[in-house]
Amino acid sequence: MMQNALLFLVLVGTSFAAQAQVDTVRASTLPGPQLAEKAYNSGLVSFNQQRYPAALASFDQAIAAKPDFAAAYTNRAGTRYELKEYPQALTDYDQALKLEPSNYASYFGRARAHEAQDHLAEAEQDYSEALKAKPDYGPAWYNRGVLRFEKGNYQAARDDFDGAIKADPKLAYAYHDRASAQQRLNNYAAATQDYTQALALQPDLLSALLNRATAERHTGQLPQALKDYDAYLARKSDNALAFNNRGGARFENKDYAGAIADFSQALQLDAKYAYAWNNRAAGQLKLEKYTDAAADASAAIKLKPDYAEAYLNRGHAREMLRQAEEACQDWRKAAELGLTVGNSYAAAAGCAGETAE
Amino acid sequence: MPSLNRLLILLLLAAALPVAAQSTAFTKDNFGDNKEGLREALRELKTGDEEYRADPPRYAQALPHFLAAQTFNPNNAALNVKIGDCYLNSATKTAALPYLRKAAKLDVTADARTHYLLARALHLSAKWTEAIGEYQQAKPVGNNTRNGDAQSFTANDLQRRMLECRNGQKLMARPARVFIDNAGPELNSSASDYGPVVSADESTILITSRRAGSTGGKKDPEGNGFFEDIYQATWRGKAWSAAANLGAPVNTDDHNATVGLAPDGQRMLVYAGTNGGDLLEATLGGATWDKPRRLNSRINTNSHETSASYSPDGRLLYFVSDRDGGAGGSDIYKVDLAGKNTPVNLGPVINTAYGEEGVFMQPDGKTMFFSSEGHNSMGGYDIFKSVYENGKWSEPENLGWPINTPDDDVFFVTSASGRHGYYSSDRPGGLGAKDIYRITFLGPEKQPVLNEEDQLLASRLAPVKQAVLAPAVAVATAQVTILKGTVTDDATHQPLDAAIDLIDNTSGQTIANFRSNATSGRYLVSLPSGTNYGIVVRQDSYLFHSENFDLPAGAAFAEVVKDIPLKRLEIGTTIVLRNIFFDTGKATLRPESTAELERLQKLLTETPALKLEMAGHTDDVGDAAMNQDLSQRRAQAVVAYLTQHGVAAARLTAAGYGETKPEAPNTTKANRQLNRRTEFKVTAK
Repeated sequence: MMQNALLFLVLVGTSFAAQAQVDTVRASTLPGPQLAEKAYNSGLVSFNQQRYPAALASFDQAIAAKPDFAAAYTNRAGTRYELKEYPQALTDYDQALKLEPSNYASYFGRARAHEAQDHLAEAEQDYSEALKAKPDYGPAWYNRGVLRFEKGNYQAARDDFDGAIKADPKLAYAYHDRASAQQRLNNYAAATQDYTQALALQPDLLSALLNRATAERHTGQLPQALKDYDAYLARKSDNALAFNNRGGARFENKDYAGAIADFSQALQLDAKYAYAWNNRAAGQLKLEKYTDAAADASAAIKLKPDYAEAYLNRGHAREMLRQAEEACQDWRKAAELGLTVGNSYAAAAGCAGETAE
Repeated sequence: MPSLNRLLILLLLAAALPVAAQSTAFTKDNFGDNKEGLREALRELKTGDEEYRADPPRYAQALPHFLAAQTFNPNNAALNVKIGDCYLNSATKTAALPYLRKAAKLDVTADARTHYLLARALHLSAKWTEAIGEYQQAKPVGNNTRNGDAQSFTANDLQRRMLECRNGQKLMARPARVFIDNAGPELNSSASDYGPVVSADESTILITSRRAGSTGGKKDPEGNGFFEDIYQATWRGKAWSAAANLGAPVNTDDHNATVGLAPDGQRMLVYAGTNGGDLLEATLGGATWDKPRRLNSRINTNSHETSASYSPDGRLLYFVSDRDGGAGGSDIYKVDLAGKNTPVNLGPVINTAYGEEGVFMQPDGKTMFFSSEGHNSMGGYDIFKSVYENGKWSEPENLGWPINTPDDDVFFVTSASGRHGYYSSDRPGGLGAKDIYRITFLGPEKQPVLNEEDQLLASRLAPVKQAVLAPAVAVATAQVTILKGTVTDDATHQPLDAAIDLIDNTSGQTIANFRSNATSGRYLVSLPSGTNYGIVVRQDSYLFHSENFDLPAGAAFAEVVKDIPLKRLEIGTTIVLRNIFFDTGKATLRPESTAELERLQKLLTETPALKLEMAGHTDDVGDAAMNQDLSQRRAQAVVAYLTQHGVAAARLTAAGYGETKPEAPNTTKANRQLNRRTEFKVTAK
């Protein structure tokens, strides 16, 4: 997964950085020695060959020769971004914007540098500036949408992804993420539609299958969801998360043995996956295998000591194992960790002690 | 070719014949080489038949003789039927099944009655589908008009049995979520133990047992063990104390059986076989039960009165009688114990054309458990629950498998919380015959909670946890509060036999009167939700003590332990008046205060030298000066009430202490409520 993400960032970064360059200066038609321009062009070649230190040296030369060369600052900043020298990149973008205040590419670049440094408000602000300078610039819409999504502002994120799609109707990622925003806004039918569009544009965007399954489950289309999980896992069988989710869907479908098999597969891929331990405990509960359920929930708690759901489930198992006091402790602990329903269970079972408030 | 076919058929028949079982008659032809054995077997058969054919049949006496004959010749269809029939009429009914199955195999032309008996055995073993099949092959037998003829069964009987099997199929498909635990050797013996009755807080249990050591030592001629006696045990935190025979005067040489126990464990209902079956009541005076007294003639008639249960306030009695005018069989009636009205039949929602038995009213005063052969019973008596709300009984709900079985399930009681039930059952793993079992109700299935993640952003693909909300839980606990504790002398700490009045503050009426136990000082009061209760504990030569419990309708089960030290009338003694209420922020006495004010007035009238200081107290919410003023005005309001009702003003003073004298830190809502109070101090007597 992360590989995909990196690849995307590089591609986006490269293409956006390339767009951020001013055109190669036609040195041959210009008078004088044109040292700055030559160095600049040479830097650009190095950059496109991903030879960043060489590019950096060239842009340094260009700026030394021509201290008001705005494009050279922009590109040196882009190079420093690639070299992960973010503070220096920010300084260069600042300088570029001072020399050329309405350059959308510098705003966009600075937004990314801010983002890299977790300056999210500043990043969002710069994406907005980039859009002011160039309202049809899809990547700025998309990146700002992602930031807003991560802030939990799904409505605004959805609007940004709309903007991205308007600017570039072929941007599969924008469809995908707009679907996710719709999902977060409980518009599951719209989400399903957008994930489908993302898949049509980019069939290898497998996360769309996983997420579409989630949306389908919310609209009661369990058979379709199960099919999507199957399709995903047929192409990518090393994702514990996907097995965990299909297990959840099978559980929902009352196929508890099938669910347990999926959770077990998830655990084989990632033995430290606390959610899969907890979910397998839930499956064991349904099959009345209470000892196994308690053991699985305990494994989840060991990995994640503040895991409220696992405490709740272990409480259920322990009640059936006739460990009444331990069950009470587990339900109370679940409530303490935020699942207040634990207190109701404890009260209904006649557990001693006060209800935690 | 036809002849070849015929030959083939003959061959097949010949092959089948040796394996088809055949009934073996008790004849010389079959047992020529063991004439002595045959003679002995025939003797056993004859004796068994004499008992079996008696009117009424003596199954218990017949069975050992039949079993002896069976040892000699296990392959006689008729004998297998008789043994099955004897078992069906014994305490171990399911033992009939293998014999009746064998009888059907030995005689493929089995008559309708054999099919019926096999159907009964299958039914009682919860083999519903097979049982229906056999009932369908059985035809009505005997004289339909003769009730009680053990050999006869009507077309209606068959239809009803099949319906019971279908009920059983449905109920078994959705088993009740319960634990059923043997109450252990402390309560159970190898003999029959049954009829458990518990106090509301499950601290005391009384049972009926036929164990050895019965008072008088008489044995039941029917072979059911010793005569019944009542035994008592107390809960020791983890287990019951060993059940002890209550002895005289409750237990006599005759049968003595438990029927009911008041929620506070201070009154007991017992059954006596005399006068066609009557109900008696005994009271716990200190540590011993007094001699049971027959309940009045409105309850006890020449008919059969069997089971009964008190309402939580002890004023009503729910009881079972087969008196004329009922719906059929025994019915459940309700009667006001102290009044003069005739008992009222609970009506058609509860009472069916068949028998009702074992009534029990839960301490919430509205949830009734009873057994019935009607409704959707899966066979014999099943236990049902019905709730009285808005002036009517709810449709009785079968408690379901495995609490109910195809056999009789009767005499079920619960704790006040409704979490535990007690009944007797003869099931595998017991200590012998019927045993007392405790049922723990687990409520609806508890749903597990799962977690999943999504990778929602294509450019990130970092997992995001999905919010999976835990479902809401239906907390179905009884809507009753149990208030219990010990009444003692504040100075000597000795237990006191005090009167406890339960008052409805809204109406000012006394709902019920109880007494604390003279020996232990213990008391217990059931307070069904939906009333603002005033509780007054009083004893001559002590100042009364008042408590308030305002329990809105729907308030869930709670058990409150409140020990009450009664104070003697001494100068300087302070008493809190918990049932004096003011409008919020004002010094206007609310009408609910009247009963408490009248009590105070009575105290002053009865003790002419008594002088009191009325004191008002507040919590620390708001401005201290305003609190001071409010408390002063409230104390004065009480003084004004008393002087207006004839108490000399010179005997009363009023003092406001505001928030200066809290009973507890003002840190919680409960403590603040404790601190907002009106009290009086004895200044002269």
